[in-house]
Amino acid sequence: MADADEGVKPANGKPETKLLDELEKGPWPSFVTEIKSAQGVTGGAEDLLGQLELSYEDKVSHWKHGGLVGVLGYGGGVIGRYSDVGEQFPKVAHFHTLRVNQPAGWFYTSEALRTISDIWERHGSGLTNMHGSTGDMILLGTTTDHLEATFQELTHAGFDLGGSGSAVRTPSCCVGMARCEWACFDAMKLCYDLTMAYQDELHRPALPYKFKIKCSACPNDCVAAIARADLSVIGTWKDDIRIDQAEVANYATAGVDIQKDICANCPTRCMDWNGKELNIKNRDCVRCMHCINAMPKALRPGVEKGAVILIGAKAPILQGALLSSVLIPFVAADELLDTLKELIQRIWDFWDEYGTNRERIGELIQRVGLAAFLDGIGLDPAPEMVSAPRDNPYIYYQPAKEDEA
Amino acid sequence: MTTTPLQPRLTDVGPPRYDKYLPPIVLKNYGTWKYHETLAPGVLCHVAESGDRLYTVRGGTPRLLSIQTLRKYADLADKYCGGYLRFTSRNNVEFLLTDPAQIEPLKQELALLGIPVGGTNNAISNIVHTQGWVHCHAAATDASGLVKSMMDALIDHFTHEDLPAKLRIAVACCLNMCGAVHCSDIAILGVHRRPPKVQNDLLTKACEVPTLVASCPTGAIRPVPGVGGKQSVEVLEEDCMYCGNCFSVCPAMRMADAENDGLSIWVGGKVSNARSAPRFSRLSIPFLPNNPPRWPEVIEAVTKIVDVYRGEARKYERVGEWIDRIGWPRFFELTGFEFTRYHIDDFKNAGMTFARSTHIRY
Amino acid sequence: MPTFEVEGKKYDVDEDGFLQEPDLWTEDVAKDFAKSESIDALTDGHWKVINYIRNYYLQFGIAPMVRKVCKETGYKLSEIYQLFPSGPAKGACKLAGLPKPTGCV
Ligand code: SF4
Ligand code: SF4
Ligand code: SF4
Ligand code: SF4
Repeated sequence: MADADEGVKPANGKPETKLLDELEKGPWPSFVTEIKSAQGVTGGAEDLLGQLELSYEDKVSHWKHGGLVGVLGYGGGVIGRYSDVGEQFPKVAHFHTLRVNQPAGWFYTSEALRTISDIWERHGSGLTNMHGSTGDMILLGTTTDHLEATFQELTHAGFDLGGSGSAVRTPSCCVGMARCEWACFDAMKLCYDLTMAYQDELHRPALPYKFKIKCSACPNDCVAAIARADLSVIGTWKDDIRIDQAEVANYATAGVDIQKDICANCPTRCMDWNGKELNIKNRDCVRCMHCINAMPKALRPGVEKGAVILIGAKAPILQGALLSSVLIPFVAADELLDTLKELIQRIWDFWDEYGTNRERIGELIQRVGLAAFLDGIGLDPAPEMVSAPRDNPYIYYQPAKEDEA
Repeated sequence: MTTTPLQPRLTDVGPPRYDKYLPPIVLKNYGTWKYHETLAPGVLCHVAESGDRLYTVRGGTPRLLSIQTLRKYADLADKYCGGYLRFTSRNNVEFLLTDPAQIEPLKQELALLGIPVGGTNNAISNIVHTQGWVHCHAAATDASGLVKSMMDALIDHFTHEDLPAKLRIAVACCLNMCGAVHCSDIAILGVHRRPPKVQNDLLTKACEVPTLVASCPTGAIRPVPGVGGKQSVEVLEEDCMYCGNCFSVCPAMRMADAENDGLSIWVGGKVSNARSAPRFSRLSIPFLPNNPPRWPEVIEAVTKIVDVYRGEARKYERVGEWIDRIGWPRFFELTGFEFTRYHIDDFKNAGMTFARSTHIRY
Repeated sequence: MPTFEVEGKKYDVDEDGFLQEPDLWTEDVAKDFAKSESIDALTDGHWKVINYIRNYYLQFGIAPMVRKVCKETGYKLSEIYQLFPSGPAKGACKLAGLPKPTGCV
């Protein structure tokens, strides 16, 4: 830490950042240090720091309402940003962001990271987010004249832009089979295949509003698919949990209180431990993962694997937040891609027909009712779709259809 | 610096193939992992059916990273991991090793670089967050500074697995909530508390009035005749709940207000299906002031929640599950937070949250 | 305020080049703005899209949804992008003199 005098001295024209300098102290790695370390790149970082310091003083954002810039042939992938204090900080007067579609599971080689870094040193501020909330790699801050060149260097290096606006947003997935023993389907491959299938819909917005797809390969849902994705694919299995009784006994010996910690926490109380053997009434198991998480050496998901398809999650805007709800209780792992492609098309056709501008699919389902939505996309109702049947008698019987039958 | 684009022009190439950057040990054992164990906080060992072992060392990052730091990560990956690394959904960086003897040297080097190792199992993982004042026009607060201040205070729970269960914290700087903020054990949410100030001159130039009227969840925006026969709008202030969605569709509805913007704190949400179902976070503190650079009021409140939870919850209980057991009155009592009229929902379906039983703990 | 100049004519525009006074639109605006959107010359196809968007805007006060543009003009989305390389929002709406469509959120 520099002493106070040095800390506030504007060295070679760099802005004073008394408030932000505070955030270089403390044990957690500092984003301010990151911004400072990029100061040599184009000067953008320097002015970003200056503008941010101003926000810390003023307690308001100094970015103007979103801009609209992009690369030819795409309707998204770039977020336009202009400063409202551009005269004071000219190098961030235009400070657009590129969303770059991340590799599945966020795996990189050192070479890939360096390639991206070099491109971003030539064309941008040298600042990134690893990663944005949707999953994209975010290249933070450049000017309009660099967009096309950045884009072409990215595509030549095997990368492409992600989604923005009323489009398919960049699908994302958990690490799945690459490193997780609980994966019930190949999340990285499925995510990649879907991304490739929807390049057009991702790059050229044409939906009523955004459409997010997320794949978690087991009910632990590491990418929060149920909370964030319009279409959530969450792995599960149909057959019995695989038990290694010897390993269960080892956990007991090592001090795990199997009855209290494992059995008593089972949501359906379907487990029983007699001191020697763990019994699971698999018919009652809801595949919650608790026991498996707690004893990974002893318990594993079954072998008849697949996923639950859920629909409709979103943040509060506009009509309140929603979690996704069950649409198809089980699809076998090897049928997922085909089933999803077909299902998504039907969902989009319905949304296209009945959705209003900026209405998420979850809100549309709320508005027209799940039953009408199921009719519309040609799915039969199933008890897994509700937490309980209705408790009110205001039923829209369908006289015409009843008569027909 | 050149801005001449490369030729031929390539588009729609998509992301790198999903297996392009996988280390050889992952390619070999893809889909055949058997179990994993935790060797130390932030250090995992995944064992494959083949007997192969993959070691993961997880480090915290500030998410906002310079290319200089990315190159440092790349150097570390070259030195210790044959050039392979990954990032997690919570902005951690993971180094993937095959030689356990390299774990300690790597950890030492990470320590020198100021990169904390941890975030696994019943620890606090890195805080997911949004852009804030760093890059978003809608932000009611900064996200990066809040996160940095919180993690400085909570870092021991990142580097030690010393909580009853995992604890997930998230920050969103406005109600758009980019990220799964609303289903976190603890969520910090930037809020406005004053209605938008309509800038008429800008409105007629830059906004579609019907879109603007439709953007309001409570119907608080009404079209009215404006200057020069053009349409403008007025806001029925008593119907406004300051969500800011009108500003999302129209720059003329300015929400930012230095003195009245601030933070709210929500608790008890989760996304995992383990034990109890996924659920939303619930309001814990309706408003705390924006107090950069360190937001002491927020840090105090969050630390309080973590401490009380750590002292009171049973093993495996997430924050929401713990509160299920002890009840909300006790949560407010233990934390000392005030229960106010703001805690009672009054939007659609609010009645679902009224207590309709005599199940009361005394 | 930024201006956009072409052949001696000046237009008040925002940072992204959208016309500031949608009422001041004339067919000349579309012609004058075309170059900046990588369009060499406006063909009947361009006018079909521009006029549809313009009329929809005058009637309803909003830009039509992209799918509607496709349906009503008979162009596939890919064809719209061939006509307007920067896309229906940034390209076609700008030439039709609409306010800037709202961004990412
Ligand atoms: S969601 Fe399940 S399968 Fe995927 S990484 Fe998390 S625990 Fe593993
Ligand atoms: S997975 Fe969950 S529901 Fe099934 S046996 Fe284990 S704890 Fe019980
Ligand atoms: S949460 Fe709101 S303020 Fe924060 S980045 Fe998202 S839209 Fe912007
Ligand atoms: S802030 Fe929200 S509630 Fe208030 S006028 Fe705007 S859209 Fe309506």
